[in-house]
Amino acid sequence: MDLVTVIFWIIAVILVGSALLVVTQRNIVHSALALVIVFAMAAGIYLLLNAEFIAIVQILIYAGAVTILILFALMLTRTSNIQLNSNPINRQWWLAVIVSTFVGAIIVYAAAVSPHAVADVSNGSGQLPAGISNVARIGQLLYSPTTYSYVLPFEIASVVLLVAIVGAIVIGRED
Amino acid sequence: MVFYQLSWLILLAPLFSFVVIIFGTRVWDLLSRPRVAAAEAHGSDAHDEYDLDDDEDPQVAYLTMGALVSGYVGIAIMALACLYSWLLLLNTAGAITIAPPLPGSGITVLSYVWYMQEGVNYVISFHVDNLAIVMMVVVTTISLLVQFYSQGYMENSAGYARFFSYLSLFSFSMLDIVFAQNFLVIFVGWELVGLSSYLLIGFWINKQAKPLEDRPQPASAAIQAFIVNRIGDVGFLIGIMILFVNTGTFEFSQLATKVQSMDKGLLTLAMILVFCGAIGKSAQVPLQIWLPTAMEGPTPVSALIHAATMVAAGVYMVARTFPLFAAADPAAFQVVAWIGGFTAIFAATIALVQTDFKRVLAFSTISQLGYMFVGLGVAGSVYNNGPGMFHLFTHAFFKALLFLGAGSVIHMLHHATHKEVQDMRLMGGLSKYMPITAITWLIATLSISGFPFFAGFYSKDTIIALAYTNGYYGLWAVTWVTAGLTAFYMLRAYILAFGGKGGSWGGLWGGEGVYRGEGVPQESPLTITIPLILLAIPSVIAGYWFSFFTYLNPTAPSLNFGEIIADWRTYPGIVVALLGFAWAYTLYTRVDLAKINVFVQGNTVLRVLHRILLHKYYIDDLYDLFVRYVVFGISHVVQAFDTYIIDGLVNGTARLVTTFGRDLRHVETGKVQTYMFGFFGGLAVLALVVIVLVTVIK
Amino acid sequence: MGLSLNHYLVLGAVLFCIGLYGALAKRNGVAVLMGIEIMLNAVNITMVAFSFYNKVPPYATYFTCQIFAIFIITVAAAEVAVALAMIIAIYRKRSSVDVGEIDFMKW
Repeated sequence: MDLVTVIFWIIAVILVGSALLVVTQRNIVHSALALVIVFAMAAGIYLLLNAEFIAIVQILIYAGAVTILILFALMLTRTSNIQLNSNPINRQWWLAVIVSTFVGAIIVYAAAVSPHAVADVSNGSGQLPAGISNVARIGQLLYSPTTYSYVLPFEIASVVLLVAIVGAIVIGRED
Repeated sequence: MVFYQLSWLILLAPLFSFVVIIFGTRVWDLLSRPRVAAAEAHGSDAHDEYDLDDDEDPQVAYLTMGALVSGYVGIAIMALACLYSWLLLLNTAGAITIAPPLPGSGITVLSYVWYMQEGVNYVISFHVDNLAIVMMVVVTTISLLVQFYSQGYMENSAGYARFFSYLSLFSFSMLDIVFAQNFLVIFVGWELVGLSSYLLIGFWINKQAKPLEDRPQPASAAIQAFIVNRIGDVGFLIGIMILFVNTGTFEFSQLATKVQSMDKGLLTLAMILVFCGAIGKSAQVPLQIWLPTAMEGPTPVSALIHAATMVAAGVYMVARTFPLFAAADPAAFQVVAWIGGFTAIFAATIALVQTDFKRVLAFSTISQLGYMFVGLGVAGSVYNNGPGMFHLFTHAFFKALLFLGAGSVIHMLHHATHKEVQDMRLMGGLSKYMPITAITWLIATLSISGFPFFAGFYSKDTIIALAYTNGYYGLWAVTWVTAGLTAFYMLRAYILAFGGKGGSWGGLWGGEGVYRGEGVPQESPLTITIPLILLAIPSVIAGYWFSFFTYLNPTAPSLNFGEIIADWRTYPGIVVALLGFAWAYTLYTRVDLAKINVFVQGNTVLRVLHRILLHKYYIDDLYDLFVRYVVFGISHVVQAFDTYIIDGLVNGTARLVTTFGRDLRHVETGKVQTYMFGFFGGLAVLALVVIVLVTVIK
Repeated sequence: MGLSLNHYLVLGAVLFCIGLYGALAKRNGVAVLMGIEIMLNAVNITMVAFSFYNKVPPYATYFTCQIFAIFIITVAAAEVAVALAMIIAIYRKRSSVDVGEIDFMKW
């Protein structure tokens, strides 16, 4: 049992546990705080997978911006009784349990029998050829002017963000 | 030959006049009526105890030019057709010579192939032969005289033009039957006369029923006539179809040869069914109910249709298909003769007690038609259709005369009393006021009863004698008794209307105090009396056409005056007629009507008998019960089936769809989470299906 | 017991499952949104795991999945913004964020 595996298991347990906390807490602010833990642990997982850039971006955006956004929304949509009543369970929660376990089981089964998943590629923990960092690699892929790059999706993503900003302002306006 | 070839003009002339009147002169008449409401010709003083306005015949103050021209058009065209048919008759009888005589099988004058294919050949064809010429003469003459008469009878009627158009339509339909060369055409004409009869009987559209006099509304009478005719036509059609299926043709001439090879029993059945049509059309038992109620129509209609022509169509049809009857089993003729004989005595007994002037004549018509069928049934192959047609020929004239005379009486009594009077108990001694009507009526009465040397004597006694000669003793007895009854009730009707106790000529003519009604009647105008006089002539001399039988069938013997006098079989007929006369005379000119009534009501047997006869043996009531409970019962069941099952099926389908939709829309809850459930649940199911399929296939 | 791709895939599946439950069974709109965020994170984890374990030449395609993950994060952020704006607007109208009550498009 080497260090990586141990760390993985610790992070995984905390991750799953706080996700459960998110969906079961009665108090919605508690759920929001558990959500922060989820985001942070996800960043940890990314680090384990040698994706430092993604991990940083996760912390910045998810644990930072999205969490604050959610907390602001909670503040603005306060219901009468925060302690007990703010995050009630639906009547058909049992159906949700069934559906979600079913879906989960299917995904696991698919992962188990799929040849792509089973066939472990030769360089398992993948060492890259040269000592270029993850960020540089992503940058090359994202912005390079060569034929194989993701510049266009990047531009479109910026448009999406613009639209989102404008939309959020328009929808959330007081009139 | 052109002389004969152009005779289709006779056929189409009334149709032409119908079209001209309906689309031309009647429109002219309607457009030129004055704008004010039609003035009531009798005013408002014509209320009887039922508080209804009598006869509801809308009147106009004066007839417009259009209406008068309608009349003239109808009469002029019919006069031309009548002249042409008389020329044809005289030519073929040998009296004058315009063209060579007709071949025995006749000439086709108009033919149109409607549909021809392998095995099926529908041709509309018309032809003339001697039989057709005889009938043609009868139809056109009576039609002409009736139209002339209607000018006077229907004066000031709002429907004047419409009446003439219907008369023309009827004449065309009747001529269609006369000229027909095959069963298809005759059936067309058959139905058309039924239609014209319906239109004419129900001419007074708004007239009410008179339940106390047992008189229905003319509209109901018209429907009854049409439907009862239709019932007979079912048999007719089936008979035609049987013949067609077995011989492949509708033409009379071809059928006459082809039925020789047909199965005898089937042919007999077919001919009896064909005779069913004649039963319906000629008002024989059991379909005789429509003719008395058809008297609700105007009297010229009764004269034309129900005396002389339409009811004779049945007789004509049997005469036309005589070879087919002859080729069948003798049972066919027996059926014809016995139904005719039974009807004759049946109707004669009912006519004994009727008090309505026109009803007596209606039953008399039914009885005489029975005679004609007896004549056709007993004739045998020697005389062929001679005797039956001879009686039709003479009967047309004197029966039309009787009806027109009755119409004259009714018309003038209407003017005198401002009410529609048809009850003989309110008449009497009218001959003092209407001499011409009375004399012509007497002539017709003598003729119909078979008084020697009048027309009816020759035709009737021939039939009675023939029944004896050919061995039908039962029919001989029936017809013999009926002759006596006929004489009795006809003279009774005459005396009750025109004579009476205390009149001159021993009660045969009117006198002071004999008239039992109100008002002072007068003689009818010329337009009414001229046809009466003109019809009185053939009522006497039509019987003297002794070569009638030979005219129709060259091999038949003709009548011989000397033989008739010498033959002993003539005399029973004369004797029984004189007996009938004597009995009626002594009863009605000696005894008061009231005393007769008291006597009859006092005696139990007579009272019951009187009641049965008055209600026409309760057959009308029987049919009424049958229709009300059986026919309407079945129709209620069928209607229930239609309403609940068929409509239920259709409506149920619609309701099913609606319910389905109404319950299905609850799927749209509008909640996002419901949709997500559906999404992921469906995803799971699909994935499951794919996994199962993949593992199974692998 | 060395780590393999399967571990990460199962982790992702479990997280997805939990997020789905949260999205389906909660009545508060923001809670539903949090469930969706968890689902997105699960997907991201799976993505990055694939990028780490399936290294098939050419070399440029090693990081495709990570690029995809970046875009997912971007779009998720935008979506959260808009969704919360909507929830606030609804709250202003109806004084409650119960998604069970928002059924204007029902039959």
